[in-house]
Amino acid sequence: MKPSLITDHPFGEAYAKHLGVAPWRGDLPGPKVEEWRFTPLRSLAKIAFAPASEDVDVDAIPRNVPRIPGAVRLVLVNGVYRQDLSGTGLGKGVEVFQGKVAAKQGSSLVALNAAYAPASLALHVTAAAKKVIHIISIGAAGSQPTAFHPRINVTAEPGSAITLVESHVGLPGETYFSNPVATIAVGEGASVRRYVSVDEDSEAFHLATSLVTVAGGGNYEAFHLGLGGALTRQEIRIALTGENANVRLNGAYALRGASHHDFTTVMDHAMPHCTSSQVFKGVVDGESHGVYQGRIHVARLAQKTDARQEHKALFLSRGPAIDCKPELEIYADDVQCAHGAATGEIDENHMFYLESRGIDPETARALLVEGFLADAVNEISVEAVRDQFVADIGNWLKRRGAQ
Amino acid sequence: MALLEIKNLHASVAGKEILKGVTLALEPGEVHAIMGPNGTGKSTLSNVIAGREGYEVTKGQVLLDGEDVLAMAADERARAGIFLAFQYPVEIPGVTTSAFLKTALNAKRRAAGEKEIDAMEFMKLVKKKTEALGMPYDMIKRALNVGFSGGEKKRAEVLQMTMLEPRVAILDETDSGLDIDALRVVSDGVNSLRAPDRAFLVITHYQRLLDYIVPDHVHVLANGRIAASGGKELALELEAEGYAKYLNAAA
Repeated sequence: MKPSLITDHPFGEAYAKHLGVAPWRGDLPGPKVEEWRFTPLRSLAKIAFAPASEDVDVDAIPRNVPRIPGAVRLVLVNGVYRQDLSGTGLGKGVEVFQGKVAAKQGSSLVALNAAYAPASLALHVTAAAKKVIHIISIGAAGSQPTAFHPRINVTAEPGSAITLVESHVGLPGETYFSNPVATIAVGEGASVRRYVSVDEDSEAFHLATSLVTVAGGGNYEAFHLGLGGALTRQEIRIALTGENANVRLNGAYALRGASHHDFTTVMDHAMPHCTSSQVFKGVVDGESHGVYQGRIHVARLAQKTDARQEHKALFLSRGPAIDCKPELEIYADDVQCAHGAATGEIDENHMFYLESRGIDPETARALLVEGFLADAVNEISVEAVRDQFVADIGNWLKRRGAQ
Repeated sequence: MALLEIKNLHASVAGKEILKGVTLALEPGEVHAIMGPNGTGKSTLSNVIAGREGYEVTKGQVLLDGEDVLAMAADERARAGIFLAFQYPVEIPGVTTSAFLKTALNAKRRAAGEKEIDAMEFMKLVKKKTEALGMPYDMIKRALNVGFSGGEKKRAEVLQMTMLEPRVAILDETDSGLDIDALRVVSDGVNSLRAPDRAFLVITHYQRLLDYIVPDHVHVLANGRIAASGGKELALELEAEGYAKYLNAAA
């Protein structure tokens, strides 16, 4: 037995048999794997997950899924595309179809996804897309623990542009495990904006992998929000593969109870004259656990790289824990790279200032938390999405007040 | 009945007694100035009235319209009508001035059983108030006090005061760090709020401010007590002669 692997997991023969496909022969990463040191999967591996059963019927999009003005909604239920729940009228510039899932080599979870994903939701962006695409992934376990493996492929042709919003939500019921993989190829001079909100059911697991490539002159702007779930990881690997590519990757998380959230990012600068910036902010309460691991890799060829990374966390109580691990691996000599990390608590002087204006302590704290997250959230360049994410954070804070 | 009544107020910070029996009554419509040397308890007095933590009241009372102020939390005091214009307003990144003002205004409205202000009405009100204070309207889009100059911070304090229309306004060294033009604008803002049902407690080190905000009464705070009281001429006398005689007398 290899201590770096969890071989005893529910995704083997029996699982494959349910689906009538060849079984996944891989293992889950164990705590000895450096990238998974802060996010143990033992509790996940012990649950008898089965593939989503056909008799779980979802006939409507949950009401708490935000409505993004002017967006076309594409709906996945337990990882399966549901045309009946999805909108039509994509407008010019984008085609949507169900594609094959490439059995590409990758991490354990990407391979697990490839083994069991039914089909990919593929977006082919050919020009400046007229409409925002809103992908909604709904987890619905019903009466037994359920796993599913959404696969999203986005190919943005050279010079094209699109804005994507992703909402990952769940319905109450047994626990579920969502294992989404998104592959996003930003072509030369193309522009992709992607805004992901993970607000899964409080008992759910969500281990997402984003594999992004940005070609020369391409722009990728992403924001990832993490609000719910028992255990969530958003792993984002971005390769800048052509000159003058720009990436802005930002995120925020807000945790309470025993929630665990992990942002793992890998920014791979392969070519010269590229920029990347990352601002991640977290708010932690209860007994929650926040993780940020950010690796910036600058290849020897990648001169004139400008890469920045920042993670800040705010403790709302003494119970939570934060693990933060920035890593810079720089092999070029003419580059600008910076990283910063800090944790803190709410400033009592700030609280008193707001209270001295008649604002009650609960509201004052909420204002300060929103304010703390603002410089990450304000990086979202689409106003309607920014407003929605601010509202989502506001609702999270209200749930805190209601406890 | 006095609007604000401070009776034999004793207060300590970290076990050290700073206020040693302050007694003061503000009638509606009056402006009282408190002057005194540094370290004599002026800021302690304002913080105790506003309800900042870390100050222990060991004896005495503060009453607003006969209500026990010391029994209220800081936010309740503010909603009851007490406003403290800070000597050093804090910078709060990420919180826009407009979100803050609207939240504060609505807290007060709800407490008074009024309905919340709508976005249009709020905008109009802020436009009017900022214009009167010679502030650009866009300033409310900025994070609260962040990157504001000393003068802008004090104007922002007065803007808040004019929006919240308190019963009792305490100005803690509002003149510190202001040039003469800013001092005039800030003073005009305060003077425009003078009203028969409102009282001011103006805490200052220098007489200069009182040329613009003319007080009805001037008090000398020395060694934690009111050492002398008089009319506005007392301020001129202090400016000429200093505080030495009060410090010696009190010691």
